[in-house]
Amino acid sequence: MRRYLDLAELLGPVLVLVLVGVVGSMGFVDPALEIEFRGALVSVAMVVALYVFVGNSGVISFGHVSFVAVGAFVAGVMTVPVALKPTITPGLFSLLGEHSVGNIMSLALATVLGGVFALVVGIPLMRLSGLAAGIATFAVLGVTYNILNNWEKIGPGPLTLTTIPETTDLLQATVGAIAVVIAAFAYQRSRYGRKLRASREDSAAARSTGIDIHRERLWAFALSGALSGFAGGLLVHLAGTLQARDVYLDLTFLTLAMLVVGGVGSLWGAVVGALAVSALDTFLLKAESGEIGFVADLVGKPLWGGSRLVGVAIFMAVVLVLLPDGLTRGREFRLSTPWRRVSQTGETAS
Amino acid sequence: MTAPEPMLELSGLEVRYGTVPAVRGLDLSVGKGEIVGLIGPNGAGKSTTLHAIMGAVRPSAGDIRLSGTSIRGRAPEQVVRAGIALVPEGRRIFSELTVEENLRLGLSGRRSKVGATEAVERVYELFPVVRESRGRQAGLLSGGQQQQLAIGRALVAEPDVLLLDEPSLGLAPTVVNTVFEALATIRAQGVTILLVEQRAQRTVAFADRTYVVSNGELRMTLGPEDATDTRRMVEAYFGA
Amino acid sequence: MTDDVQTLVDAIALGSIYALMAVGIGLVFGVLRLVNFAYGQLIMAGAYALALTNDSPVLLSIALCFGVVLALSVALEFAAFRPLRGASPTTMLVATFAISYLLQSIALVRFGAIGKIVVVIPKLSEPVTIGSVHIRWITLVTILVAIGVFAALTLLLTRTTIGLQMRAASIDAETARLLGVRANAVITAAVLVSGVIAAIAAVILPMAVPERVLVSPDYALRETIIVLVGVVVGGIDRLLSATLGGFTMGFAVGMFSGYLPSTGAWPFTSSVYLDSAVFMLVILVLLLRPEGLFARGRRTAVERL
Repeated sequence: MRRYLDLAELLGPVLVLVLVGVVGSMGFVDPALEIEFRGALVSVAMVVALYVFVGNSGVISFGHVSFVAVGAFVAGVMTVPVALKPTITPGLFSLLGEHSVGNIMSLALATVLGGVFALVVGIPLMRLSGLAAGIATFAVLGVTYNILNNWEKIGPGPLTLTTIPETTDLLQATVGAIAVVIAAFAYQRSRYGRKLRASREDSAAARSTGIDIHRERLWAFALSGALSGFAGGLLVHLAGTLQARDVYLDLTFLTLAMLVVGGVGSLWGAVVGALAVSALDTFLLKAESGEIGFVADLVGKPLWGGSRLVGVAIFMAVVLVLLPDGLTRGREFRLSTPWRRVSQTGETAS
Repeated sequence: MTAPEPMLELSGLEVRYGTVPAVRGLDLSVGKGEIVGLIGPNGAGKSTTLHAIMGAVRPSAGDIRLSGTSIRGRAPEQVVRAGIALVPEGRRIFSELTVEENLRLGLSGRRSKVGATEAVERVYELFPVVRESRGRQAGLLSGGQQQQLAIGRALVAEPDVLLLDEPSLGLAPTVVNTVFEALATIRAQGVTILLVEQRAQRTVAFADRTYVVSNGELRMTLGPEDATDTRRMVEAYFGA
Repeated sequence: MTDDVQTLVDAIALGSIYALMAVGIGLVFGVLRLVNFAYGQLIMAGAYALALTNDSPVLLSIALCFGVVLALSVALEFAAFRPLRGASPTTMLVATFAISYLLQSIALVRFGAIGKIVVVIPKLSEPVTIGSVHIRWITLVTILVAIGVFAALTLLLTRTTIGLQMRAASIDAETARLLGVRANAVITAAVLVSGVIAAIAAVILPMAVPERVLVSPDYALRETIIVLVGVVVGGIDRLLSATLGGFTMGFAVGMFSGYLPSTGAWPFTSSVYLDSAVFMLVILVLLLRPEGLFARGRRTAVERL
């Protein structure tokens, strides 16, 4: 019975994601809105990937979008048709320029490269905590952006990467998001995840029981990087175009906002945060173009352009001030059934 | 022994850290011009009581009154300006600042700018070592010198009530003598004193009255005559 | 040879600007333990004020710049820093990050993405010849202004009561309050001084750095990031080490950009990779000395965060 109740923590988020996918595919949703649904699901993937590291270790990382970037660029560059590569990405290494891969393969490449990059970066960086870690990971983001934006041998450099097949339909987005959630759940339930969480609560006590904090953080970082790379692959196949700027500061802010708003310490928080902020973003988008009747009536005209970013920022600021632990208070999804009261499993909340 | 008009009164004071109560239902009063001691084992809630008076921690129940007016809930800056100064546990002097700068900081709590220079002079007279080392970095002073600086720093604010949190901690016996003598002089100058201490016997002998707390609660009250009564002292610390 | 001297002087000037910004950030961190990601936005606001008053008399323009920056600083303090006091450091970091974006978005909505030219004192862009070296007046002025600000700040911190209280609050805020130091007064003072410095930076930056003559919503963002990095690298918990860290970063950027060629096929071989070079240096330093280059070897605020 206890095993089933614990599984509720996973099923809750998964069912919500399935619901999002199903609603998005319904007839009354027009194409412009359907893209928003897909975007929300890809956001869930990115935020949960970030959570795997930040939520379990308690160490902040401003650099995760560099793994998303690596995954996105790999998946993007490798799926541009070979014939078009000389035009879009002149200067590529011949190995990259003469081959192209399919959708699944590109996602696999994105995942692997994201993970490897994270592993390499993580080996030195995981010794740091707190502010030093934040700044160091920020520096990684800076280096990644700078190189991706300029180095023409591995990508388009300052030009925009286009003609990427848009294979992230609603099915791919939903399945992708669910896959990331399952991976995150499996990790946090595993020995490794538990050890890491223990060190988050009290590092001295954890070390005294033989937990090697550096190594546990490294595994989480690498897994988180792999999942971020995967999400980057999903992202680039949703957008069809890619520029280094798309995976830099704005995205970093957005994913962090989504995680913090939802609640840093739980998987449910990551999912809720991503969906809530995406929903707000979509709402503001529609309000801007006057499509949401009551807002236009209220304000007298459509919301002014640019209100999206402002709205998200204000929302985030308000949530942080009122609910510093996020919307879910860092708790996992729970069923309130009579059995839960009896079982007293003492779940690892934030 | 009738206590003079109460200067500082705690009634039913309760302080919790999270769900753990550190002080439960404490009643105590300090009369004007008295020296009152507060002793007890580690973790008894003595420091917490002083911090609650200063407004550094928030009580969950009870009241704190200064000359009849409730000061519960006031911020530390305001409590100082109401006339209470604290000499914190471990002295907490600013090591990178000079001795003189530490004293000047104490002036922040004064109720009136007038008389600041005189107040500093009085501290120099009370503690000659502080005067001698005024230009030096405070962190370079010995433990005893730092303790005198800490007391001086609280005194320049010219408080009506002086709270001291374990001033003799870690000090050599001769220095402890100096400190206690200074306290006597301070009381003679009209300051009311509440003294939290670990050295039970010395405190009981020195103070007009001494409260004994344990586990956050008041256990008994002792007078100077009890200082030589070993049974009473043991009872105070381990029994009741 | 003269090129070298020129590059050196330019690097010192850039280092001076970054050092100024580092002081602004370090002051607020000292009393609030809050890393203000939004510092660049204060400079942005000041630069916009200058841009909108291009045609007005210089003194009026500068006065307006100061007014706007100080008003925004105080507004930030009341609306954001106060509610955040006592929050976890992660929350504070993310929150000021959010505020930075909020202010950028507002500027984007109000002024659009296209940059506006800022004209302050055109005469300062003219060159002066010293020996065989040609440098612009503004380069000299920048260094002198920075020295002046540091001197004034040192006087403020060591000779005045509020300065002493600020120093004490940076070391041990709780004990300072127990002595009667008014927390709100000290914090407001730090915010105001920090704001004044931001305003000075807003006046100097458009003249001193050629790319910065155009103000846009993300104005000074790059500088803020580099300064923040520099402050942490230098050692964030002491004002002196934070300032030195900021100066070092600016100086390094100036020197690198003077010597790197402008094109190269591989990373780090040309000046477009300047940022990467700087960031890699940062990572290296943080790994070797996480508490900061110029810190006194104590693990303080860095670890505690």
